[in-house]
Amino acid sequence: MNNPKIELLNVQKTRNGTVILKEINLKFISGKRHILLGPSGAGKTTLLRLLNRMDDPSSGEIFYDENNIKNIPILELRRKVGMVFQIPVTFEGTVKDNLMVPYRLGVISGNADENELEKALELSGLQTEYLGRKASELSVGEKQRLNVARALLNKPEVLLLDEPTSALDSESANKLLHSVKELNEVLGLTVIMVTHQLENARLFGGKIIHIANGTVVREGEEEGFFLNSLSSNMS
Amino acid sequence: MEGSNYTLFDLSYLDLAIGLALILIVAGLSRWQQLKLEGELVIAAARTCLQLLAVGYILKYIFTLNHPFLIILVIVVMIVVASRTVKGRQKKQTRELSYLVGFAMTVGSGISLFIATQIMLQIKPWYEPHYLIPLAGMVIGNSMNGATLAVERIDSEIEARKMEIEAYLALGATAKQAAGKCIRAAMKAAMIPTINSMMVVGIVSLPGMMTGQILSGTSPIIAFKYQIIIMYMIAFSVAVILHR
Ligand SMILES: Nc1ncnc2c1ncn2[C@@H]1O[C@H](COP(=O)(O)OP(=O)(O)OP(=O)(O)O)[C@@H](O)[C@H]1O
Ligand SMILES: [Mg+2]
Repeated sequence: MNNPKIELLNVQKTRNGTVILKEINLKFISGKRHILLGPSGAGKTTLLRLLNRMDDPSSGEIFYDENNIKNIPILELRRKVGMVFQIPVTFEGTVKDNLMVPYRLGVISGNADENELEKALELSGLQTEYLGRKASELSVGEKQRLNVARALLNKPEVLLLDEPTSALDSESANKLLHSVKELNEVLGLTVIMVTHQLENARLFGGKIIHIANGTVVREGEEEGFFLNSLSSNMS
Repeated sequence: MEGSNYTLFDLSYLDLAIGLALILIVAGLSRWQQLKLEGELVIAAARTCLQLLAVGYILKYIFTLNHPFLIILVIVVMIVVASRTVKGRQKKQTRELSYLVGFAMTVGSGISLFIATQIMLQIKPWYEPHYLIPLAGMVIGNSMNGATLAVERIDSEIEARKMEIEAYLALGATAKQAAGKCIRAAMKAAMIPTINSMMVVGIVSLPGMMTGQILSGTSPIIAFKYQIIIMYMIAFSVAVILHR
């Protein structure tokens, strides 16, 4: 299965006259883990936000399962392409209330099934006892897991994560990365994660896409990626 | 009619000049206290005088001509100016907003004006400008204030809840669902002044129209009935405009 789940063709993004992304040509492979790696201000968030149409490119095309994403109803696209932000967002009420949001919005039809909620929680690394806790009182790491769980309830095919560990200490960061890695391995979810930390990229593995100054400078598999950069630095 | 030996005294331009002297005193105070408001104050006073003078003469002319087309035109101008004013209050100014507000105002004020003049008062002819123009002015003016508050509030709410809105959108919410809380907050904010003034009318404040009617010799009871109609009209128009 080497079909591109998402493909970008000559994508460009300008804001107020400045070019933020230029000539991006990328393939995200179905069922694979991908890392967008690069320094602050490189354009990683900007790129990620194009994939579920939080923003649209200024030029170029993006394809999802070989369909131009402009031709896919936007709500359907966003259900299939879940997103977790850098800073976790909790809505009013308990953890359970938060997990019910996709049902309440009508994104998922039918009634909430308690089993589904518990499964999503566990996959994200939270125990089911959390269901009754007030969401606003969770720790940042727990909130981030709740955000992942909430995104999972939509049964997405792709999960976008924008520096999900940036607000976490290294231990909770490692735990979260481990959980997301499992989501990819167990559910076969296509994962695209933004980070600017090399260690995260190493721990997470998969295909690494190095972005700097708004363009892709290098891409390759995790094994060998750092070795190559080392040798190219030495030569 | 009650107050039969009541006469309305005209004001001479000398009287207006005495009024202006009061403004000059205020300007002097502002200078003394270094409020730096005297410039604006004088301009505002001059504008008040010129605008009202102009409107007074235009209205007199319109009342004499008494042509329905002209009267409708006056109301249209009011709506256009009001919607442009609302647009001016929005941070990210869009043309659509101006049209949207104009449309909502036309519907909201239109319905309430129709009910008040044609069903309640049954004015003859239907375009009788002595009724239609002041009523339209009051309803449109208040709708404008309501819409302005709503627009300002929506801007600030969206700014404050940006992350929450994006989180909803990313979960597959429609724009309306994602901004639902902001819209409700803005609608509430816009209705509050109208509700407040309905609560305290006659106790804390005597509304301008009622004051005017009493001054010109109308029975306070009639003035009170008119005022009630007006307040309900305003509440209705503000509500309509908020629902777009
Ligand atoms: N709304 C905006 N208007 C103008 N410029 C913007 C906007 N959003 C981002 N930029 C600019 O685009 C560039 C890329 O921003 P982006 O947020 O994509 O970077 P990033 O790689 O995610 O960085 P970080 O690691 O710090 O999150 C930056 O120079 C930023 O200032
Ligand atoms: Mg970023």
